[in-house]
Amino acid sequence: MASGSYDGVFVVGCGQTEYTRRTDKAIQRLIWEGIDLALRSANLPWKAVDGFGASCFVLPPDNVTVLAEHFGLTPRWLFQGVYGGASSIIAMLHAARAIQAGDADVVACVAADIFDVAMHNELLDRFNTSMRDYFAPYGFGGANGVFALHTRLYMERFGATREDFGRLCVAQRTNALLNPNALMKKPLTLEEYLSAREIAEPLRLFDCVHPCCGADAVILASEKVAKNLGVPLVSILGGGEQHNYPVEDIYSLRGGWEAMSERMYGQGRCSPSDLQFAQLYDDYPVMEFIQLEGLGVVPRGRTAEFLRSTDVTVHGAFPINTGGGQLSAGQAGASGGMIGVFEAVTQLRGEAGARQVSCDRGVVAGYGLVAYGRGQSSSAAILARAS
Amino acid sequence: MSKRPLPHVNSVTKPYWDGCTRGELVIQLCRNSACGKYVFYPRVCCPHCNGGDLEWEKISGKGVIASYTLVHRPQHEAFYQEAPVCFIAVRLDEGPILYSQLVDRPANVELVEARVEAIFQEVAPGFSLPYFRLSGAAPKGGVGKREP
Repeated sequence: MASGSYDGVFVVGCGQTEYTRRTDKAIQRLIWEGIDLALRSANLPWKAVDGFGASCFVLPPDNVTVLAEHFGLTPRWLFQGVYGGASSIIAMLHAARAIQAGDADVVACVAADIFDVAMHNELLDRFNTSMRDYFAPYGFGGANGVFALHTRLYMERFGATREDFGRLCVAQRTNALLNPNALMKKPLTLEEYLSAREIAEPLRLFDCVHPCCGADAVILASEKVAKNLGVPLVSILGGGEQHNYPVEDIYSLRGGWEAMSERMYGQGRCSPSDLQFAQLYDDYPVMEFIQLEGLGVVPRGRTAEFLRSTDVTVHGAFPINTGGGQLSAGQAGASGGMIGVFEAVTQLRGEAGARQVSCDRGVVAGYGLVAYGRGQSSSAAILARAS
Repeated sequence: MSKRPLPHVNSVTKPYWDGCTRGELVIQLCRNSACGKYVFYPRVCCPHCNGGDLEWEKISGKGVIASYTLVHRPQHEAFYQEAPVCFIAVRLDEGPILYSQLVDRPANVELVEARVEAIFQEVAPGFSLPYFRLSGAAPKGGVGKREP
């Protein structure tokens, strides 16, 4: 067993509700639907769940403990995601450790939200004291303004162009059209991307996610439980989280992925060249560039070149965000941190339908919790079809 | 139009906001002699050396624009009339990053690495925020910091 390995744990189910612009459902109902879909795909009953993790921005004043009571669960392990879009991968990794330690046998990890543009802006204005006191009073534009600063610097430092970011957004839209749950149903051309309405220069409309409503969930189980389910099993080959990295340098255009990569690939006894897809945290395309580089898929500063020569649709050599990602499937708040996990597990189970890619191994990354100018939390995991 | 969002002042941050209202940029300096770095935003300890001994010091109010954006869609309706807002990250000459707005933005001027200086504007009775204006031309060719 490799040092720090996640052996003895499998992802045994996954579920995703349709993403919609609005919903009449209560958030608790959306969360229930996400878990219920995932449990069905795992052939497991609700009564088997003895560990529960949830990430949801609109859940307060309730929390994961109150949700467990609402659903009639009696878990012996709970997790609440407080890492923004990095939460769901961290939930999965912490759950796997709990299962390895015998603290739980079956863990349901869910993320969901009921979001729109106004709620998203209001949330970020009071996201934490640093954003409330030093950003909101200046009309900073919410997350769009924060990441416009990083995008401009990436363009200046590495020579990337709007077309380079656009290629990625257009490819993800191609993928989204094959995902029945995705919000966006129309193709996007590079011309439409380039001429879209300005939001926070250099960002335009299609650099920004569309806040929406939805839920994503995965089920993890011990080997003993997993082997008897009769469902495709997915292994966690490696994973990691890193916070506030690099410390003291907001504009290094780096994130925690480069700090965790060596250990993560060591756990999985593999390298970036073994990956067959990437499900990246796409709050903004520039962060996908930085993730590809931090995860060692592309050399630092070279993602624009990579995208000029690589088809990243599901038809291409290295598919990225095979379900459309948040940029084209929608950002259901905290579900933005789980959409990539759901998509990776769906692909590895061979259940992705029209968007299925040929794969037995891929990486998923998370990012979030914007405070004082950047996302504070990074996470990633390498997932593989179990042999 | 709803009121613009304002900072919440507490015992940690009050010296900073009091300085702004007097028209001075006053930030924290770490007293640990092995560290001695400036700290912004106001904190209970130094994030560089983690020590708890910080003093307040009036600084120059000068720096360079680390990055900027023109915000066409502000996050709060209080800013809709002044859009596009030129939101900037200023790297103060003393080291820390401070976020603000550039006022009197000239058209067609390269802003990244341009030198700026603080000015103060009252945004609520008896409460001012620091803003910045250009204090010199940007270096020719803009950012000169391109990595190979």
